[in-house]
Amino acid sequence: MKNTDKARKPGRKKPASRKQPAAAQSRRKGFWRILLRLALLGLVLLAGWMVYLDAQVTSRFEGRRFEVPSRVYARPLELYSGAPVSAAALEQELALAGFHKGDGSRSGSYQRSGGRFLISSRGFDFPDGKEPRRHLALNIAGDQVQSLKVVKGPDSGIVRLEPAQIGGIYPAHQEDRILVQLDKLPELLPAALMSVEDRRFYDHHGIAPLSIARAMLANIRAGGIVQGGSTLTQQLVKNFFLTREQTLLRKGNEALMSILLELHYSKSDILETYLNEVYLGQAGTRSIHGFGLASQFYFAEALEDLLPHQLALLVGMVKGPSYYNPRRHPQRATARRNLVLDQMQQAGLLGESDAQRARSLPLGVSDKASFSQNRYPAYIDLVRRHLARDYKEEDLRSEGLRIFTTLNPAMQMAAEKAVTETLPRLGDKALESALVVTAKDSGEVLALVGGRDPRYAGFNRALDASRQIGSLVKPFVYLAALSQPQRYTLITPLQDTRFTLKFENGTVWQPKNYDGLERGEVPLHQALSKSYNLPVVRVGLDIGLAEVKSTLQAFGTSSAISDYPSMLLGAVAMTPVNVAQIYQGLATSGFNTPLRTIREVTDAGGERLSRYSLQVNQVADPAAVHLLQYAMQETMQEGTGRSAYNTVPRALALAGKTGTTDDGRDAWFAGFSGDLLTVVWVGRDDNGATRLTGASGALPVWSNFMAQVPQNSFTPVVPDGVQYHWVNVQQQALTDEQCENARLMPFITGSEPTQTITCAGALPQKIRGWFEGLFQ
Amino acid sequence: MMRVQMRAQVLRRAVVCAVLLLAGCASGPGDGIYVPAGERPQVPKPPLTDGAAKPADEPQVWRKSEQPLGQKSQQKAQQQTGVPEYRESGDQMPAAAAGLVKEAITLMAQGNGAAAITRLERAQRIAPRSAAVYFKLSEVYAMTGQLGSAEQFTLKGLSLAGRDERLQRSGWLLLADIRRARGNVAGAQQAESRAARL
Repeated sequence: MKNTDKARKPGRKKPASRKQPAAAQSRRKGFWRILLRLALLGLVLLAGWMVYLDAQVTSRFEGRRFEVPSRVYARPLELYSGAPVSAAALEQELALAGFHKGDGSRSGSYQRSGGRFLISSRGFDFPDGKEPRRHLALNIAGDQVQSLKVVKGPDSGIVRLEPAQIGGIYPAHQEDRILVQLDKLPELLPAALMSVEDRRFYDHHGIAPLSIARAMLANIRAGGIVQGGSTLTQQLVKNFFLTREQTLLRKGNEALMSILLELHYSKSDILETYLNEVYLGQAGTRSIHGFGLASQFYFAEALEDLLPHQLALLVGMVKGPSYYNPRRHPQRATARRNLVLDQMQQAGLLGESDAQRARSLPLGVSDKASFSQNRYPAYIDLVRRHLARDYKEEDLRSEGLRIFTTLNPAMQMAAEKAVTETLPRLGDKALESALVVTAKDSGEVLALVGGRDPRYAGFNRALDASRQIGSLVKPFVYLAALSQPQRYTLITPLQDTRFTLKFENGTVWQPKNYDGLERGEVPLHQALSKSYNLPVVRVGLDIGLAEVKSTLQAFGTSSAISDYPSMLLGAVAMTPVNVAQIYQGLATSGFNTPLRTIREVTDAGGERLSRYSLQVNQVADPAAVHLLQYAMQETMQEGTGRSAYNTVPRALALAGKTGTTDDGRDAWFAGFSGDLLTVVWVGRDDNGATRLTGASGALPVWSNFMAQVPQNSFTPVVPDGVQYHWVNVQQQALTDEQCENARLMPFITGSEPTQTITCAGALPQKIRGWFEGLFQ
Repeated sequence: MMRVQMRAQVLRRAVVCAVLLLAGCASGPGDGIYVPAGERPQVPKPPLTDGAAKPADEPQVWRKSEQPLGQKSQQKAQQQTGVPEYRESGDQMPAAAAGLVKEAITLMAQGNGAAAITRLERAQRIAPRSAAVYFKLSEVYAMTGQLGSAEQFTLKGLSLAGRDERLQRSGWLLLADIRRARGNVAGAQQAESRAARL
């Protein structure tokens, strides 16, 4: 270092003191040296910057390019001869699944004339196989498909329509897209896109200086920006990696990255990414990206089914999706589309007559967005909680999973209507409600309402309102009793009289009936159907609280159950979904059937990830449950649930139970038909008092729902070990069926009365004669 | 070894069940179906395609008043308005469900248990009160070695077999096989003697 300094010092002075030309020469040399150094430095920096940009470009392209939201589907509608669906419900289903009214022969269209339908299905990749495209002709009368015929496509006696998308689980940036593959697209789309946006796409290396120059010239001439010179690669880079600001630096980066992208990747790779990335519209907070989703969003059709005029519109919208929004600005959009059609014609993509015809067609945009985002917040909430058991939130938001749920849109609609129509009639504006509908024998959750405003994605009462269940607990107390046929039958007389319980700590409990009355002796079946409190507490204490508790647990109660006798009157807190779970076993002859909202989950490619199968688990003797079901049917015929038949026709046999807690804080109704189990809760969020009971608060909602949907009556099959007998309940004796007070009732074999009496209540002549003979 | 034997037995039962299923194919779904007010057209339009609503396909109604209880019982039951209902047997299988069960049988023969279950669950949704569907599910679960589930589905099927002796017998024998395979000899004997009493 020192040596260098010494050597330099004289060197510096010399040029200054000697001749001028040498000094100038030297200065010039220095200048070039500095410039060279600067250039070198610049090159190094540029190289470094290129390395940085290159890393950016490749890392994004090598890894997962897109975060694709998960799609949540309703259950597909199965059509077959005898399928329970009304014409109105089918039309609603078709609309939800994105079908449009048309000739019924174009894919995704249908034609209806009264109960006759012509449907052209699009086909769908279900997890268990592909449902092919078909033309269907079907006829509906009443609420059943009378006939189904496959007019075109593979024949089948049973056909699944594509399921409606009912929601999505979106990435944080709310970008939505349906990924498409270049080789599966109509060739016209990329060709049209290139004819408008980048004619020399296959020739340039990322940037096209000539195009830029031409565009600049055009812009200068026009005095504003009329033409963009960006290649498709540049547009992709701009959207993919950069901000939207218009600065020179950004332009420079864009050019460099475009070149790098082209160096690394094939043209088709870049084109495919472009087709999936491009922004094409907005639906609320959700942004519509890529041609795949745009096709669904604007036309409710698959991209491969689009006609040239529709493709032209989408291509035209690339320039300004909001400015050329065909729903908001149809004229502008039409003009732009026709311009694109002109370009396509010039490029030789369309013949003159085809182009002419395409220009004359209307835009062909579907009425509204084919689905609204998370239209069923309460249901999707339950789906997400089930998914959370097996999937990471991050994967749900980005991996493009397909989630097949059990939601039945028609039932959901009816359930929402039942709540929104009935609640305002109950008087109290602060009243809230929750409703759960399940398929009785499969445990599939078909509909769910989480509050009086079903669209509001807030507190989900169906899942989170844990409230005391009141008399809904009574069937379980009686079931525990009826499981001991040597001690209890449906006609066992119970004491409906007051009593006092004294606990060791000195506290006293004196239960009362709802009406405050006492009736002396009442038979068990009536004690349940009329929901008397005093007999149930006596029975519960007789068989033991532990027995009742274990029955509740066996049926799927997850809540803590207190060891105090007040639990016999329902001092047990449960959510409506939990109530639906435990009533499932009562509705299905003692088979616990876990509730399910998801049938299957697949990855974006259709590969199955999980399946949630039907499970059944016998938790009670079907014979005892059959007896209980008798009393729960009686509840609807003669007991606390009978007002249901003010709304529902008598022909529909039902079974159920009311529940009311102190001061009407909670009004419950849980009941079932042959097909459906429905649970309704009505109450206030602040747990305040109301003037309602289960019958006046929850039952009206329940009945409103049940009256809306087609279903089978509840007619339970008599299980092994149960026999029906005509009995005189009061006398606890078998009797003749002609007697006025005779009642046909089920008994577990061996527990039926042994005594037979006449209509007058006397022992029959023959027996009396025998007795008389014996004692004479 | 036990399991192999068991599977052979289960397959034998499968044949019995298949016969039962086919016997039930002809009838339509139960028409207890209640139609919401205003949805049933005044005059039902004739079907667009032929071959569906034949008289033989007329859905079967099972009401208490139609139970074989004798003339008087019927009259008495009709006098009463709104009495609890019951019936003596489960639903027969509509053709659509029977078609799915047939597909499932083919898939089972190919050893594809998972796909067979998917078909059977579809059939179950169409005919949820048909004992035969549950017996079939039981067979698939037995075939795939899930004997616990197999036993439960047999029990579920039995709860819907009602007074149908053929269904009862095949159910109890199926249950006996499954219980024996699970090592529950006493339970198996109990099921067999139950079948023998039919």
